Amino acid sequence: MTTFIFIGDMLVMLFMILVVIWMSYFESKERIDYTAHIPLEDEQTDG
Amino acid sequence: MATEQQYYYDDVVKRLVQFSVIWAVVAMAVGVYLAAELVWPTIDFGQPWLSFGRLRPLHTNGIIFGFGVSALMATGFYSVQRTCHVPLFAPRLAWFLCYGWQLLVFLGGISLLAGWNTSKEYAELEWPFDIAITVLWVCFAIVFFGTIAIRKIKPIYISNWFYGALIIVVAIVHIVNNLAIPVTFSKSYSLYAGAQDAIVQWWYGHNAVGFLLTGGFLGMMYYFLPKQAGKPIWSYKLSVVAFWAFTYSYIWAGPHHLHYNAIPEWVQSLGMVMSLVLLAPSWATMVNGIMTVSGAWEKLRTDPALKFIVLSLAFYGLATFEGPMMAIRSVNVVSHFTDWTIGHVHSGALGWNAMITYGTFYFLVPRLVGTELYSVKLANMHFWLALAGTMLYIVSMWAAGVSQGLLWLSLDSTGELSYSFRDIMASMAPYYGLRFIAGLIFLAGTLLMAYNFYMTTRSRETVKVKPPAVDPAFGVAS
Repeated sequence: MTTFIFIGDMLVMLFMILVVIWMSYFESKERIDYTAHIPLEDEQTDG
Repeated sequence: MATEQQYYYDDVVKRLVQFSVIWAVVAMAVGVYLAAELVWPTIDFGQPWLSFGRLRPLHTNGIIFGFGVSALMATGFYSVQRTCHVPLFAPRLAWFLCYGWQLLVFLGGISLLAGWNTSKEYAELEWPFDIAITVLWVCFAIVFFGTIAIRKIKPIYISNWFYGALIIVVAIVHIVNNLAIPVTFSKSYSLYAGAQDAIVQWWYGHNAVGFLLTGGFLGMMYYFLPKQAGKPIWSYKLSVVAFWAFTYSYIWAGPHHLHYNAIPEWVQSLGMVMSLVLLAPSWATMVNGIMTVSGAWEKLRTDPALKFIVLSLAFYGLATFEGPMMAIRSVNVVSHFTDWTIGHVHSGALGWNAMITYGTFYFLVPRLVGTELYSVKLANMHFWLALAGTMLYIVSMWAAGVSQGLLWLSLDSTGELSYSFRDIMASMAPYYGLRFIAGLIFLAGTLLMAYNFYMTTRSRETVKVKPPAVDPAFGVAS
């Protein structure tokens, strides 16, 4: 069980590291800025 | 019909907000009555349906499933349309879900008063209701993920990740924990026995807290805080990293509810360690929220909605620090089975869940009907009542809990217990009195809000709002 949990933990840590690397190197600044601004520019009121 | 499709579908959002406010008033009133029963035990008048054992699950289920889930459905539907730049997918199904859910909570509440109870905390409803919850939850998933599937822009905003995790994880833990063998229409027996049943129950129980009362409301925060502050979230990258860290850590933390019980020690240790790990994504989220408001502090003087949300972040930070500390076994030996736990739960439920929902509703309700809030003065009064009620509640329960824990552990020179259970409970009277007053204060604030919303929305139609033009660089090719 200890080995199972250890391997599971390491896989998740690897996933987290890949998320950080992806966000830092592969996501463009324009896309992140655009996404972050979505709630501020998401409606057009009528009347 | 084609013209109707161009607008966001907010009628169902307004109705869900109304139901959420009604459940808040009802379930909090039940909570106050329960607090009164602990001060004056005879006020159950010998009626089984008024007994603490039946009213308590009515209070918790009413708050979580009535107030909380209705608010999450309302804000989830409001934000997913806007962040996807499309009207809601399958609006008729959304209406079915809206009324079906209220009927479920109402009938479920009656069943609890009648004494139908699985004896699993936060999963007390019997098997017919469990099946109904599953069916309605699938409807929720179809409407929510259907809207994401037909979105007009490629990026999926962070709030949708949290709402999505809420829908998926709660479905999984609800189904697995409620697997049971029905014996009659009102009675079933869990598929699991003994320690396994306890582990599965707290895997459910803690993730109901984690993905519903924390994750779902974080989705609310990530959408409505930037809206109210008029600024994007401070660090979008941090929000994404915190989401995955939160999702990974929370799912393991349940066994901390079972310290010193008949479950393997390594399971307890794992629950404790993962609870401590949770501190990182929780505080990353809190810092992200507080920094988003930084630079917009002047709005706190004039905007009651933002005040509620900023205060909720402070309580979120407090509760997510306290939780991991209580998961440490040497702390848990004092805190477990005492009112400290009740104080902790209410610093989360009142300070975080209720406050962020109130802040969001103060923002949402006037916008839904295209007017100003009926009374900002009443909203400000509500803010101070909510803060006073929450502080008095948690301080009285901390004092009661720490006293209980230490008195129960106290031994005399012969190794016998220094104080009887009865003596310790008798010494709790002043704290329970304060808790009752705190509940009354908090409920009074909620009633003011309900009146304010009634006056704001009275005889007003929902405003029709169109999605904006899509930026071609980030649009989904049709």
